[in-house]
Amino acid sequence: MRRLRSLLRKEVRWSRHNLATLVLLLLVLPGGFVYTTTAFDQVIPRDSPVAVVPASEQVSDDDLDIATAAVTLFSEPRQYEDSEAGIEALRREQVYAVLEVPPDLTDETATANFTFYVDGSIVPYHEASEAIVSVLDYPLQRTLPADVSVEREVVGPEHSLSEYLVPVGLLLVVLLFAFAYVPYNLANERRVLDRLEVEASLEAVVASKLLFFGSLLVVPMAVVHLMSLWLGYANTGIAPAAVLAYLLTFFGLAALSTAIMLLFRFGVVGRFVNIVVLFGLLAFSNTIYPAGFFSPVRREIARLSPLHYSTIVARSSMLKGMTVWDFLDWFAALAVVTLGAFVLLELSIVRYRRVR
Amino acid sequence: MTALLTFDAVEKRYGDTAALDGVSLTVDAGNVHCLVGPNGSGKSTLIRVALGLTRPSGGTVERPDEALGCGFQRPTFYPDLTVAENLDVFARITGADPGDWFDDALSRLRLDREHDRLAGDLSGGFAKKLDVALALQKEPRLLVLDEPMSDVDDVSRAELVALLDDYVTDERAALVSTHRLDEFGPVLDHLTVVESGRVLVDERAADLAESDLDPDSLQRSYVDLVAAGSDD
Repeated sequence: MRRLRSLLRKEVRWSRHNLATLVLLLLVLPGGFVYTTTAFDQVIPRDSPVAVVPASEQVSDDDLDIATAAVTLFSEPRQYEDSEAGIEALRREQVYAVLEVPPDLTDETATANFTFYVDGSIVPYHEASEAIVSVLDYPLQRTLPADVSVEREVVGPEHSLSEYLVPVGLLLVVLLFAFAYVPYNLANERRVLDRLEVEASLEAVVASKLLFFGSLLVVPMAVVHLMSLWLGYANTGIAPAAVLAYLLTFFGLAALSTAIMLLFRFGVVGRFVNIVVLFGLLAFSNTIYPAGFFSPVRREIARLSPLHYSTIVARSSMLKGMTVWDFLDWFAALAVVTLGAFVLLELSIVRYRRVR
Repeated sequence: MTALLTFDAVEKRYGDTAALDGVSLTVDAGNVHCLVGPNGSGKSTLIRVALGLTRPSGGTVERPDEALGCGFQRPTFYPDLTVAENLDVFARITGADPGDWFDDALSRLRLDREHDRLAGDLSGGFAKKLDVALALQKEPRLLVLDEPMSDVDDVSRAELVALLDDYVTDERAALVSTHRLDEFGPVLDHLTVVESGRVLVDERAADLAESDLDPDSLQRSYVDLVAAGSDD
């Protein structure tokens, strides 16, 4: 009993020295987890951005305003100039549906055929969009004098949930690699860093690790490609835009996680901070569920995260065959963010040199 | 004599604590220069400043342009690689092309029999020897070793001292920190005693008689000197 008491006392002393870690692990992490579950309280999205576009030049502003008011009941309407602009926004997941508005809505003798376009690759939105079409039909029938019909049309190939999850799964592998394996590997070799600093430089050491582990990502990408072929999934092979998005994501996040480890001098706190950042990114970047399913605030938070964009690029290139050229602006932004992560990494190396 | 390392009034402060307090010393080519002092005297800080791993708070340090050979207090190598792999990796990093003399050195340190063993599994003594071997591999002009004898068995200690004596020629020097002066007595060319970050004695071995140390009983007189300083 005395020995047990002594050992328990030792654990209490240990926890005093590791208070920050325990706070992260026992308070921040579970608290954050519970908070993020609030984001999943809606089955049918109520605030998804939906494009409202004129079907032709004959559509008046009044027609668009009537349709926009009807859309407000179940989503957040955004007016676009024409169908082409709306569909482009749909392909880039800026909106989750496009409502094409016919002309002469106030003409009693006219027939108003609305078309509700949804993207075949946003699988979680498929069933929701069917329900939304029914919901939309009702107020339009009630308020408009014209004979109204709403038709749902799928843009691009309609994928299964399994196919939808393939690019997401690969992104999770990239995240785990960047946040768990690379920092672990560097921490495991921290004792050799002094010699490497004398014989080479810390920058060279970190660069070699990122390049090596980045090139290793070819393996899971190839596995996903071959598995998708074997399972007969449609259009889920690795595309150049996806490879570029995954690599930029890996380099940016691995630089960030390494910077965190250096800032915390490879301590346990650094590892847990990395885990918290990983969970935070997963929860707030809407990597698994489309951002359109969440509240406008959460959606805006997601759109601040580079991971949100790399997810869409990877998904769009693998499921819809979109190319690097379709996302040049996003790739430029991702490159800038990755560069920023490398600047942070260099600053953390400079600080590590000063305080070690 | 050519100075391979010069400290001029070097200071290193951590908050209010001075790890080095105006240290001046010169390591000349052809010398085995021993640095001795009790725990916490500033030896390791001095070694790290010499290697460029710690930036001094004041004073100047002049080192040779080419990289130094470094042996660390805690052995420093890749634990997940074998001894042979570590030697190969660092030879490639430093561009070292060691000749037969290095194979002979490995044999003298009995490291050749541990070639295929994971470095992380080495005993303390062998780990230290691998660390020294990595320092020697690229034939640096200045070898800087931090307590190379710790954990090393008696047979290998004598061999290590002999190896150091053979290695240091007119063009080379070694700065070695140690707690055991008596082990280096036969090869000692210059001695610096540090305590509380300050230099107590800095003399050529030939001139030690003129200092507060007794050349015939170096270890004993060094301990007495430091103890007397602590009493003051």
